[in-house]
Amino acid sequence: MSFLLRISAGLLLWAVSFSLLYALQGMSCALGWDMILLPIGSVSRWLLGIVWLAFLALSGWLIRCAMGTPRGLERKLALSSAIIGFAAILITGSPVLLTSTCAA
Amino acid sequence: MNVLQRHRALSAIWDAPKGWRGTLVSVNHSDIGKRFILAAFAFFAIGGVLAMLIRAQLATPDSAFVGPAIYNQLFTMHGSIMMFLFAIPMFEGLALYMLPKMLGSRDMAFPRLSAYGWWCYLFGGTMLIAALAFGVAPDGGWFMYTPLSSKTYTPGINADVWLLGITFVEISAISAAIEIAVSILKLRAPGMRLDRMPLFAWYMLITALMMIVAFPPLILGSILLELERAFDWPFFDMTRGGSPLLWQHLFWLFGHPEVYIIFLPAAGVVSTVLPVMARTRILGYGWIVAALLALAFLSFGLWVHHMFATGIPHMALGFFSAASALVAIPTAVQIFAWIGTLWNGRPELKLPMLYLLGFFLVFVLGGLTGVMLAMVPFDWQAHDSYFVVAHLHYVLVGGFIFPMLAGAYYWLPHFTGKARVPRLGEAAFWLILVGFNLTFFLMHLTGLLGMPRRIYTYTAEMGWTWLNLLSSVGSFILTIGFALFAVDVALQIFLSRRIRRNPWKAGTLEWAMPVPPPSYNIASQPHVDDAEPLAKHPDLALHLARGEGYLAEARHGWRETMAVEPVSGAVDHVVILPGNSGLPIITAIVTGGFFLAMLAGQYWLAMVPLVGVIALGWRWAWGLGARKDTGPVSIGQGQSAAIHIEAGGSPGAWGGSFLLIADATFFASLLFGYAFLWVIAPNWPPPRLIDGGLLFAVIAVLASVCVPLLTRAALRQVARVKLGKAVPMLLGAAIAQGLVLAALVIAGLVGLPSPQGHAYGAASWALLAYGAAHAFLATFCVAFAFARVRAGYVSSTRSQELRTAKLFGDYACGVTLVTLLCLFAPLVLA
Repeated sequence: MSFLLRISAGLLLWAVSFSLLYALQGMSCALGWDMILLPIGSVSRWLLGIVWLAFLALSGWLIRCAMGTPRGLERKLALSSAIIGFAAILITGSPVLLTSTCAA
Repeated sequence: MNVLQRHRALSAIWDAPKGWRGTLVSVNHSDIGKRFILAAFAFFAIGGVLAMLIRAQLATPDSAFVGPAIYNQLFTMHGSIMMFLFAIPMFEGLALYMLPKMLGSRDMAFPRLSAYGWWCYLFGGTMLIAALAFGVAPDGGWFMYTPLSSKTYTPGINADVWLLGITFVEISAISAAIEIAVSILKLRAPGMRLDRMPLFAWYMLITALMMIVAFPPLILGSILLELERAFDWPFFDMTRGGSPLLWQHLFWLFGHPEVYIIFLPAAGVVSTVLPVMARTRILGYGWIVAALLALAFLSFGLWVHHMFATGIPHMALGFFSAASALVAIPTAVQIFAWIGTLWNGRPELKLPMLYLLGFFLVFVLGGLTGVMLAMVPFDWQAHDSYFVVAHLHYVLVGGFIFPMLAGAYYWLPHFTGKARVPRLGEAAFWLILVGFNLTFFLMHLTGLLGMPRRIYTYTAEMGWTWLNLLSSVGSFILTIGFALFAVDVALQIFLSRRIRRNPWKAGTLEWAMPVPPPSYNIASQPHVDDAEPLAKHPDLALHLARGEGYLAEARHGWRETMAVEPVSGAVDHVVILPGNSGLPIITAIVTGGFFLAMLAGQYWLAMVPLVGVIALGWRWAWGLGARKDTGPVSIGQGQSAAIHIEAGGSPGAWGGSFLLIADATFFASLLFGYAFLWVIAPNWPPPRLIDGGLLFAVIAVLASVCVPLLTRAALRQVARVKLGKAVPMLLGAAIAQGLVLAALVIAGLVGLPSPQGHAYGAASWALLAYGAAHAFLATFCVAFAFARVRAGYVSSTRSQELRTAKLFGDYACGVTLVTLLCLFAPLVLA
């Protein structure tokens, strides 16, 4: 079971970040955080942006950890999972900066 | 012992009885696998006939062939049959039949569970088809959107048939998923490291793990909708705080991964058959596995792309649109690996290869239209049009049926031991390819011209007449192709000549046995030192038949197979599998009784079969295990190993863990639903929050925390060979768990509002019911462990019952704490 966790850690992190961003976006719209404006952007955009960047940093750290895995299939899978996870967090989280938060 | 004597001795242990009794009690994986495949094909034929009726209706404008009521049943049942009764059971059947053979094993990890899953599938599927025959089949579309499927708009039993019938069939899917995952991880030939495992097994492992996580949201959604229909709990009723979008979320949380769950096994067939046809090894083994992992995860981040037209905010659209486009990349990695393999090898244009080329053409087209639909602006234009119908058929027929037909022709000699009849298969292939493209390519155009899906007729002025007529002609050509395939298979089974072993000169282990295979697969299990053992050791089959591998000795009537350490493939222990039994079919019949009573609206009567299933579960588990220690046994090759009852990490322990993962996903989906209703649904906050029961909640928390402490203490006493001291601890744990159950129910009765008044009450009661059910389950496990200790089944080396009780007690404790936190948090926050 721990092997399965190690080789999918990067993608698991993406799944957590994706779920959290989606949940926070829904909550911030329901609670009206997008209407509370700060000097640059709203509270919800700041919150979502910080969470996104934090997960990107965590994912980068995971890539470093995966590079230390002994050579073989496990290293290939752990490293590719971490890199794909990083790219997926970067791309699927990018709407945090690019789109309106609550407008439908 | 010579080869023939060994064959007779092993057959005496592994064979099923002859005649009807054997049919009813067999648990052999080859028997069960073949039954799944045959039944799935029969359901496919029924689904195909429904498609013919749909196309007959749409062939001409203003057609009076069938009315709207029948038409609704036709397309709903066509979709439901193809997804739930054909595609999933078909690959389950292939996996059950093929995996032990490819992995150099003798059977799956839980043969009786396979048999139980088979009977549940057969009875559930029959229930759905019977409803069709009686004219009360589901008619709300295969994804049963609310409020159309709610009681107000579907007052008959049509929707109940779907909800209960599909849930019944899903028991089979979850059983098979756990069985497949554990078998691949544990029951391989010694030496088969994960990087030596056939790619088909990797595909099936990933698919099984996806099923374990993907199916629970659908089962939850079905239960919630049935609760709304049967007892008026308003989960999806907007006027009382419910939300129809909750159903869409739960359905598509299952529904989109489902597409990949169907595609991946077929892709596994491609990765197995294609290198053999190209006479080379697969290119990029590690990259394919990495792509599989990526697909498995990313496919869970796409579900909202089915809901782009529901008015959700732009940012959420952006998340899911990006994920939907991203998933094309790992799919493309596999496609390029297959093309590279063809480039590397010397491909032969045999019949399986023809189907693989058909797969490339059709699936790539379907994938490209998928990327188009992932883009929100395009999706808004094409949503719910025939363009989507064309896309999904290109993906599912291209990504599943074409590879499975390649696999059918590749492995049929293994099933039948016969050669195929020349040329008939080629004719079937061309009819299927031409018929399919004529039918569905044109639907892209029909959709772009604005024809919505699911309409039962149209007028000539719409300009869709010729496209529809040609699609209908194409569908009949397609059907003739499938009929010819069936004739071809029948001729091969009944009339064709015998074939030699390994006709394709393949390197995987399923060809290292006689064809058709004996009930025990192989006379002895190999030591694997290559990803293609037969390519490295062409005489391997002979050596294994001579008993020169592991477990060549037939002893004590035991059904033995090797279990390995999951990653390294080193010898771990010997698993003694249970033999033929009537328990699976009896349990499935009683389970069916529960669903039928629910369907008939006899809710109190449904409690009788439920108690029956619990009693049978006890009887089932009681028949396993041993009353004395055996110690290590010889496994051949000068080695010995413990039997599974006396070893850690047995298949049972793995199965229990996977079951809890599925269960936890169910719970997480329920928590998501609770939070979703609070945050998104209209008419919140509710008129009344929980307003009492805190004392009983505290009692439940304290008692539930005691259970893990007591079961751990009992385990420690058993390890010290002090069984007498363990007994009162287990009794105490059972009483504490019973107290949790009672306290949860009383807390709900005292404090919660009625479940009918508002979705808050319904969701809170659903959470409480889940917690209470798990408190009961944990009580059952502890009581069972208590009885087993007293009956002498437990010793310091045989303590699986206690470990299972600990696992379920821990989980129930966690569920109790989270449930009560969710129930009382709103009160504290208010």
